[in-house]
Amino acid sequence: MGANMSEKKYTKDHEWVSIENEIATIGISNHAQESLGDIVFIELPSVGNSVKAKDEICVVESVKAASDIYAPIDGEIIEVNNNLENDAAIINQDAENEGWIFKMKISDSNQYSELMSEDEYKQFLEQ
Amino acid sequence: MPFAGFNMPINYKTGIINEHKNVRNHSGIFDVSHMGQILIENNESYLHKLEKYIPLQLKKLIKNRSHYSFLLNKDGGVIDDLIISNIDIKDKSYLYIVYNASRKKEDEEIFISCAPNAEKIYKENCLFAIQGPDSINVLKNIIDIPNNMNFFDILISKYNNNEIIVSRSGYTGEDGFELSIPNESAENLITHLLKNENTMLCGLGSRDSLRLEAGLSLYGHELNEKITPIEAGLSWALDKERLEDENLNGNKILSDQLKNKLSNKKIGLISTSKSMLRDGMTLFDNNNNEIGKITSGCFSPNLKKSIAIGYIISEFNTDNPIFCEIRKKLELVKINNLPFVKKNYKKNGSKYE
Repeated sequence: MGANMSEKKYTKDHEWVSIENEIATIGISNHAQESLGDIVFIELPSVGNSVKAKDEICVVESVKAASDIYAPIDGEIIEVNNNLENDAAIINQDAENEGWIFKMKISDSNQYSELMSEDEYKQFLEQ
Repeated sequence: MPFAGFNMPINYKTGIINEHKNVRNHSGIFDVSHMGQILIENNESYLHKLEKYIPLQLKKLIKNRSHYSFLLNKDGGVIDDLIISNIDIKDKSYLYIVYNASRKKEDEEIFISCAPNAEKIYKENCLFAIQGPDSINVLKNIIDIPNNMNFFDILISKYNNNEIIVSRSGYTGEDGFELSIPNESAENLITHLLKNENTMLCGLGSRDSLRLEAGLSLYGHELNEKITPIEAGLSWALDKERLEDENLNGNKILSDQLKNKLSNKKIGLISTSKSMLRDGMTLFDNNNNEIGKITSGCFSPNLKKSIAIGYIISEFNTDNPIFCEIRKKLELVKINNLPFVKKNYKKNGSKYE
């Protein structure tokens, strides 16, 4: 992980976001991975798309259900994790590192600071 | 997850796919105690009343054999699907019926109306299924299983001085056994079985993907009160002589259906992409006309693709492409003969004496 890596933050939709040099990396939380069960397929977002926070941008299919992944903040999709095309189970093995899903160039860093910290997310899960 | 009033695990620690593979390659144990189990005295008047609903010649059922059958409504629609066996317990002859948890209310109303002293035994007895090619090896060290026991044979055996009902059956397409055991010994038995390192507890998730690969119908999906066994492709399970019998619910409708073309047919489907086919999705022809619906879909760990069962209109020519609407997009799906995975039963035996 890079030197300018920010603190990892979480959304209420169980995504994690970390920011390095105004580039956000996004995936689903370990908790989300556990409750989805075996992930068999992911429909990755399209690179170059500009999206707004809360837009549905891609889908994770597990043996149990399909779940939408939402953009956590406004921005442009600049990269996707192509390794997941062949082996979506990477998300089950390492949801919060190797299982990252896409990267965004963010337009409003205030949106990021409004997300939950790891501790806040833990409390949110306990509710 | 809540299921028919029970809190049931979808999977245990290692996940659905791993449980599924373990059953196909070794063995796995399912706690199916939520299912209904009832004993009905083998009495001619009771059997005659039950024959109104069950399309078998109940008086002729061979002792120590099980049969897949149904409770039918007036239109020949399926009130429930069930396994019915003729078995002696403590020198008394019974029909032992195992039926779906989700249909207990409807089924028991019928059972009790036919046989007022029918004994529901699922409060006192747990029901476990051990499924997979190694089931026999896991079980035979613990319970006495005769070498000549075939699929759908049933007998009384002993465990911890308790009488248990052992049937060679299950709903995964694999060889296996179902064990009805008094509650007080149930935990001991499970612990005992799990001492074998190659077996594991399995949940509802793998139970569903296993039965789907085996092309087996599930009540509430492929079967309901508006579908007859013939429409569901299960006419093999109907006794054809009973279709001539006025005492059987829907007998005329069923014998007509057997002679004439049906309006719908059951099909197996396999995804051509990585998308998952799921219950309720709509099927289209290449002119965007709706031709049917999926009733069950899952990821098949054996085929590594999504598979499904559904119904389409009979006049559709299956040489033409079929599309499934997945998240507002139409994706090509292919017809696949059922079952998706070959059944692996230890077979022999006939239906009647």
